[in-house]
Amino acid sequence: MPHESVHTVQSYEQELEQLRSLVNKMGGLVERQVAQAITAVVEHDEEAALDAPEMDPQVDELERETEALVIRLLALRAPMAGDLREVVVALKISGDLERIGDCAASIARRAMRNELLSCPISLTGLHSMGRLVQENLRCTIDAMDQRDPELARIVWHSDTAVDELYVSLFRELVTYMMEDPRNIGPCAHLLFIAKNLERIGDHATNISERVYYAVTGNILPIVRPRGKTFD
Amino acid sequence: MNKIIMDDTIGRDTVLPALAIRNLNFWYGSNHALKDISLDFPIHQVTGMIGPSGCGKSTLLRILNRMYDLYPGQRATGEVLFDGRNILSPGLDVNVLRSRIGMVFQKPTPFPMSIYDNIAFGVRLHERLSRADMDQRVEGVLRRVALWNEVKDRLNASAAALSGGQQQRLCIARTIATRPEVILLDEPTSALDPISTARIEELLDELKQEFSIAIVTHNLQQAARCADRVAFFYMGELVEVDTADKMFTAPHAKRTQDYITGRFG
Repeated sequence: MPHESVHTVQSYEQELEQLRSLVNKMGGLVERQVAQAITAVVEHDEEAALDAPEMDPQVDELERETEALVIRLLALRAPMAGDLREVVVALKISGDLERIGDCAASIARRAMRNELLSCPISLTGLHSMGRLVQENLRCTIDAMDQRDPELARIVWHSDTAVDELYVSLFRELVTYMMEDPRNIGPCAHLLFIAKNLERIGDHATNISERVYYAVTGNILPIVRPRGKTFD
Repeated sequence: MNKIIMDDTIGRDTVLPALAIRNLNFWYGSNHALKDISLDFPIHQVTGMIGPSGCGKSTLLRILNRMYDLYPGQRATGEVLFDGRNILSPGLDVNVLRSRIGMVFQKPTPFPMSIYDNIAFGVRLHERLSRADMDQRVEGVLRRVALWNEVKDRLNASAAALSGGQQQRLCIARTIATRPEVILLDEPTSALDPISTARIEELLDELKQEFSIAIVTHNLQQAARCADRVAFFYMGELVEVDTADKMFTAPHAKRTQDYITGRFG
């Protein structure tokens, strides 16, 4: 998230630049992780299924680096105003990205299970949900990279569609399970996958809220748009 | 010479600001140092004034108790309302004004006299107190600034023997001894170590229960820690004023943002 004007103290500017690059790198990595996880499930792609969890340690390491840099910046630079928002938000965003990475790894780990490979159930619904989540995540990371509050707000709104897809997928899978107990195994895995996708959507929403705050100084409403829920 | 009406019912315990500046302009000769400033100093709050050197913040502070009167060629227009009166009006008794709007400077400025007399001196100019009452006043203000325990056994020793932080607390004690309503502080801790600074900041927090405080500081962290409201000045203009919280997390003006994040120039 570059700023229009630069700091008088260049090393401070460099550290903030370093922070931005860490978070962006993490964003790129996690985006790829999610893409691989979805490919693994819908295309039964073994390589992708192995690839996604393998990126986890790298993401964790980037999160730790981000944390350390944020603490150093807070202690040594005492950032104010826009800088303060950016630094604190970077810390929060790195946490959300790390959780997204975990969800992606968890999806990928289920992808190659025998129950799913021989599963007679259509993956179309899951595929659409995956595409939407991926698209939202991409826009979130673009909004972060370009400091674009409007784009952030749009993604924040579009999580509703993910929630709705999740609810309809849930119903569909429950129906399959009721039809034939042999579907319970694969459907349970698919449910967890759908839940993880839904979680990724939520984390992306959190990130877009934070980007919006970092750039504008304003907080989006507490009640965020939600699709139909079970309650 | 007109006297300011001493009326404790005006100003205190009401929503009126302690000081209200309206369309203030100030010139050093031909140099237009403050441009059409309007700003309120709320009662029982600390108002911080920040901005780069030469922005006019110290000038503003010097206007608030008519310090500029001491120099020829300096002139102010507009209004500074205090207790219902414009303190810029020529008929005003500046001695009374300065007892009601006290000032503390960057470097501690103890008088070359004893600790006791540093405080008693200003009080004697305005009030006739018995020895016992004066003792009580001196002790009271020294306790107020948390200096009593450090100096109670050497009240007759020279104030010059105190440390910088103690001297500055003595100067604050001296200022509050005349029971002002407003205290002006011009970078009161810039010559002090961190512990003395923390003591002064803690003191400000306490004193605002009783007084209204205006503080000029170059230390943004200090403004963030002490001030309820912060005003940012740039080239003689008041750019923005808001709560400290808002100013240091999400200021409105780009110039404020650039200044407080260190992106200036």
